[in-house]
Amino acid sequence: MSSRDEILQRVRAGIGLGDAAGRRAAAEAWMAGRRCGPQPFLGGDLLGRFVARAESLSSSVERIAGRRSLPASVAGFLAAGQLGSAAVIAPELADLDWAASGLSVAARPAVDRDTVGITGCFCAIAETGTLLLLSGAQTPASVSLLPETHIALVDERRIVGTMEDAFALLRAEHGSLPRALNFVSGPSRTGDIEQTIVLGAHGPRRVHLILAAA
Amino acid sequence: MTAAQPLTFHARAGEKVRDLRLQAALQKARPLFVGKRAKGVAALAEDGLDFERLRSAGEEIRNRVLADLDVWLEIFEERARAGGAEVLWARDGKEICDLVIDVARRHGVSKATKSKSMLSEEADLNAALAAAGIRPVETDLGEYIVQLAGEAPSHIIAPAVHKSIDQVEALFAREHGRPVQPRSSADIPAMAAEARAVLREHFLSADMGITGANFLIAESGSAALVTNEGNGRMVTTLPKVHVIVTGIEKIVPTLEDFATLMRLLPRSATGQTISNYVSLLTGTRREGDGEGPTKTVFILVDNGRANLLGSPWQDMLRCIRCGACMNHCPVYFSLGGHAYGWVYPGPMGSVLTPLLTGLENALELPRASTGCNQCGSVCPVRIPLPKLMHRLREEQVVRGLRPRRERLMIGAWAWLARQPKLYRWLAARAARYLRWLAGDAAAIRVFGLAPAWTEGRDLPVGPGRTFHELYAARKRA
Repeated sequence: MSSRDEILQRVRAGIGLGDAAGRRAAAEAWMAGRRCGPQPFLGGDLLGRFVARAESLSSSVERIAGRRSLPASVAGFLAAGQLGSAAVIAPELADLDWAASGLSVAARPAVDRDTVGITGCFCAIAETGTLLLLSGAQTPASVSLLPETHIALVDERRIVGTMEDAFALLRAEHGSLPRALNFVSGPSRTGDIEQTIVLGAHGPRRVHLILAAA
Repeated sequence: MTAAQPLTFHARAGEKVRDLRLQAALQKARPLFVGKRAKGVAALAEDGLDFERLRSAGEEIRNRVLADLDVWLEIFEERARAGGAEVLWARDGKEICDLVIDVARRHGVSKATKSKSMLSEEADLNAALAAAGIRPVETDLGEYIVQLAGEAPSHIIAPAVHKSIDQVEALFAREHGRPVQPRSSADIPAMAAEARAVLREHFLSADMGITGANFLIAESGSAALVTNEGNGRMVTTLPKVHVIVTGIEKIVPTLEDFATLMRLLPRSATGQTISNYVSLLTGTRREGDGEGPTKTVFILVDNGRANLLGSPWQDMLRCIRCGACMNHCPVYFSLGGHAYGWVYPGPMGSVLTPLLTGLENALELPRASTGCNQCGSVCPVRIPLPKLMHRLREEQVVRGLRPRRERLMIGAWAWLARQPKLYRWLAARAARYLRWLAGDAAAIRVFGLAPAWTEGRDLPVGPGRTFHELYAARKRA
């Protein structure tokens, strides 16, 4: 008997139930029902909540009028932090005029030598101050991971309340899941040496969020 | 399967209590663990959330899966395959090792980076990989430290909690080929940066990533990975092959169920409202993607779990491995994780180790409890840990696993208790003897018949008469 069959047989022996078809149908029905557990009451100001949570997770936040202003605000942030003028960007942002702001960008997956990575995000979650990034050709996961500085553009209209809301949006806009959904909440961190929190464990040390009103 | 080391708990416990460096590390960590969780749980109220309601919801989700685990496994398998992943099954630790090594050989892998997987600890996978000529590199900073030390993790979420900064410094100096420097806590960021640089090279050059999964999502055939460091993302983004080794009980039905459990797991583990990185991984790289694994393999592992279904210990399979039980355990914080002798320490380990490795191999663990139920009261999925330990103790008696001396003594006691006259006569003699031993004192400082019992406490002594005698005297008066 294969390992698979033996394990499933042991599981069935333990559960001790028949009617496989009925139980399967009940499981399918449960999935289709998408019942949610207890969710937080977040009030009306999702933007304010998101910003407060993101800042408490050691991200910095600034607001701009619209997506077109992204290169200029990125240039300002990099100059203020003396972080250079080169960046790797998610290809979805390649239409913006980066050169006009004095930035030299490459639209591709990130490599080790990239020090700044700029991405958008699928949506943001107010409950926890979290970004949801989907992997894809236009949105490579490495851009938000390998560089020491991650700058993310957040469309204020796409700030949702909870993870459940993010999943609902995902189902509405995408047929199936991409290879990776990454929920990102601030810079990477570790507490593994004497429980002392250090930012920049393996991923970014610095996360800067630029919220665009339109 | 790595065997638990039989009957070493007492011996190890003595050793650990006397290890001052370990004791200092534990005393430092304990209030942090407890305080952060308490704060995280209390903050739920600000959002109008009731932790007890969340716990009930978590318990219900996990019970739903366990009640029809075969069905959920089949659904998961179908959907994971539809997403492009391969799904393999392993009965035990040896099969895990064989399957991982086979995948590695098929893809010409010489180095594998690893994110945390407790199953790979159960299987002693690193040793098997090394023996097969494949270099395993642990990338969680805590796991990296214990790998350098040639040790096992001593905590499921803080693997190196037992290590002091000086011990970490000595390991880094040796591994990274540099002289040892004096270190204080101000140097911890520099030490983390050093490990980051070394591990970055490994991330970039490894051919295979090996991870566990915090959950498997049935509806989408995905693995959920929860980390703070970002190593889980590295290991699942950069290498061409990704192998996920996880237990069959880790399934949750839907993304919504997962969202509920994510309100419980990080809070219970570290007090965080959410961990820095939560990834849901489905299948392999898609057409047009410039990165991501081209091969994704799930290894679904039994290793003793299926036997718990329908047993008095089925509740244990709800466990989501948050570590809250050990973080609140007075026994854990007196001894550290290594005293427990196998992969899982603390109360959950005291239940799981005997169940997964054999009751006879871990006789002392179900007794490594004060019965205080702090573990049970913080468990996010309401596992009644003290009750399960108690049930294991009963089972030891039923299967005749207790030591002969203990069985004889209890047998003698049981016989005596059924001889009321003899019992009363002997009890009266004993009461007088103890009173005489104590002299004028209220308690005996050193009891000659069982000196170990009075090593850390006094034996209080009554008035020299039994209850029966006193009662009879009072009735007469």
